Amino acid sequence: MATTPQPAHRTSRRTSGISRRLLLTATASALFVTATACGSAVNTADGSSADGLITLSMHNPDSRTQDPATWQMVQEFNKQHPDMKIRLEGQPVDQHEQRMTIAAQSGTLPEIFWVYDSLAKTMVKSDDLLDLSPILAENGLKSKFAPSMLAGFRQDGVQYGLPYQALVTGFYYNKALLDEHGIAVPETFEDLLAAVKKLKAAGVAPIAQGANNSAFSVWAFLTMLDRFGYEAKYPDILSGKARYDNADFLRLYRHVEELAEAGAFPSNMNTQTYAQAVASYTDGKAAFLDAGVWEAAKIQKSAVGKDTGFWAGPTFSDGVGEQKLVMNVPSAPFVVSAKVKEDKKKYAAVKAFIQFYYSDAGQKILVDNAQPPVTTYQPQVDTAKNSVFAAVLAEASKSGWKSPKAQPDLVVSAATASAMYDSFYGVMGGSLSPEQAVKNVQKTIESAE
Amino acid sequence: MNWLTTRRSFALMVAPALIVYSLYMIYPILYSLYYSFTRFDGVSAGGFAGLDNYRQMAHDDAFWTSMRNTGVVLGIALFLLVPLGFLLAILLSGRVKGSGALRALVFAPAIIAPILVGLIWIFILDPKIGLVNAFLLAIGVPAQPQWIGGPTLSPYSIGLVYLWQQIGFVLTIFYAGLRMLPRDVMEASSLDGAGRWQQLRYIQIPMMRETFGIVTALVVTGVFKVFELVYALTGGGPVHLSEVMVSYMYHITFTTQQYGYGMALAVVVFVVGALASAATFLGNRRKGEVR
Repeated sequence: MATTPQPAHRTSRRTSGISRRLLLTATASALFVTATACGSAVNTADGSSADGLITLSMHNPDSRTQDPATWQMVQEFNKQHPDMKIRLEGQPVDQHEQRMTIAAQSGTLPEIFWVYDSLAKTMVKSDDLLDLSPILAENGLKSKFAPSMLAGFRQDGVQYGLPYQALVTGFYYNKALLDEHGIAVPETFEDLLAAVKKLKAAGVAPIAQGANNSAFSVWAFLTMLDRFGYEAKYPDILSGKARYDNADFLRLYRHVEELAEAGAFPSNMNTQTYAQAVASYTDGKAAFLDAGVWEAAKIQKSAVGKDTGFWAGPTFSDGVGEQKLVMNVPSAPFVVSAKVKEDKKKYAAVKAFIQFYYSDAGQKILVDNAQPPVTTYQPQVDTAKNSVFAAVLAEASKSGWKSPKAQPDLVVSAATASAMYDSFYGVMGGSLSPEQAVKNVQKTIESAE
Repeated sequence: MNWLTTRRSFALMVAPALIVYSLYMIYPILYSLYYSFTRFDGVSAGGFAGLDNYRQMAHDDAFWTSMRNTGVVLGIALFLLVPLGFLLAILLSGRVKGSGALRALVFAPAIIAPILVGLIWIFILDPKIGLVNAFLLAIGVPAQPQWIGGPTLSPYSIGLVYLWQQIGFVLTIFYAGLRMLPRDVMEASSLDGAGRWQQLRYIQIPMMRETFGIVTALVVTGVFKVFELVYALTGGGPVHLSEVMVSYMYHITFTTQQYGYGMALAVVVFVVGALASAATFLGNRRKGEVR
């Protein structure tokens, strides 16, 4: 929000007592407005900022510990580009989304930021985001990506986003715990159900899940949705030609109910957060953890690191279509504020950062921090040192298995995504029957899409 | 100092406060009202929606659940918090050894941030790691109720935690009210042979009507602002079964990005809260007039 200089036509020396007070009030108001107005960089005559400082706003309050790959990327970039500087900031996901929404309203978006794709698509409609096609065209950057990594972040001919990280999701499992109870790593749903029953009987928490303020943590179940034909069905569901409460999806939710009834989920699932669920796994208290590649480094460092494997989730004999699916898709995108184009130095800094992030050196930083590359870069992974990450990569590239184009919640509105999360957690916790769960999602689709 | 009394000077002095008040109170209300009739998604305007958002509310089960839960918290606040606060104030206003320390202790939760209160109570009420269920097990009760996180008990637990958090504040107001009562009336009643109960029933409670009115008004308005407790204790879950009106409005607005619908919810929260407060004030005034 730009500040407007106050007019200076009230400076007569013949000020009476009242007009002096008026002047004071006006000055105070001006100061107040100036103090509360959002800061904007001082631009020089040629349209470049004085400092070339850009802000990268992320969805983690402490990137150094929660997203070390991005943190290291920024440190390395700042070191290599002394004439440019990136300031890394962040807040928890919900607050971040809220902040970016408000910033879009007030025209104060940070130069680069992470955002859910549904919000990014809304911002594209309002011309808040920069078309990144010209940047991709430089130095052959576009050729570094598999087409599927970019396709999801294009709308009305605008390449508004680039993949932040790859989203490989599924179940981590504790091999030692499974071996201890004579359980083989499951392949089918029946295997998983049998494993849950055995673990529960032995007093071991089967699957670590946490819904409190983290209802989105149902990644493995979203992949299961794809094993019931979600990818083929969702365009029709969103356009009203088909329904979410169809017989196929209902079957999946009934399977989730079977798991719940077998005691698959912790009794305090609704009060524990996702972070607590991860902790219960890394403490060796749970046999499976519903999560993704971003936890590989943390699990590696924990007591269960050496015993951890990764599984794409169960196949279903009554599923629909391809069952050999592993979720390996671009996660929510990096986007750039359209205003960056107005400032040459900031634009140059953004361009340099994007080129650096997707260069082999940048992708190596991702890999070094247990994140799969998002370009065609072929990583060298020390499987002995990074066994958890290696297990994730191995599962993601398993022969004969393929990935859906996008994670189911990333192709619908935030309201529908939220209803999908609730539907799974509702059945897992016994608050919703499978029929109620699918109906709730359908109802949300009818009002929100 | 004559200039202070002129209408113009008075207006000039009031103007800054009025401008700030209008900017920060009236404008947001009008802003919410306007957007409640739109399909605003937080970024782009979205177009005029007429009464659609309000119609959606009428068919939204989670909204009605949040209304009911707010009612539960309000009920606990009115029928437990206010009487218990008064009772404690009566007890601590007597010549009890260490009553000062006890008052400070009871007041302590009121100075803890509500989000921390929520976190503290998770460790007490959590069905798996909470102290309450651990205690039940220790004394041989096998039942492990889901005080929070289950489909039924969460709103009652939230109400009780709210009571724990607010009781020191309520007690303090009652305590101040009791200290303001004229001593000679109490002494005269003692000389006339009135017992402790009679003094309470016929002197203290009637003379404390104003204080009861203020406390009730504060409690009613406070209930319609409960948010952090729910956020920390249950996140509104499972499946929005423990949402109160404000937390549900927050979820719709910021999590699902349905700003238009969220603003409609905000308008309803405002109207219901304002009506409840008005009813409280009106009730207090009528009681005062009857006296």
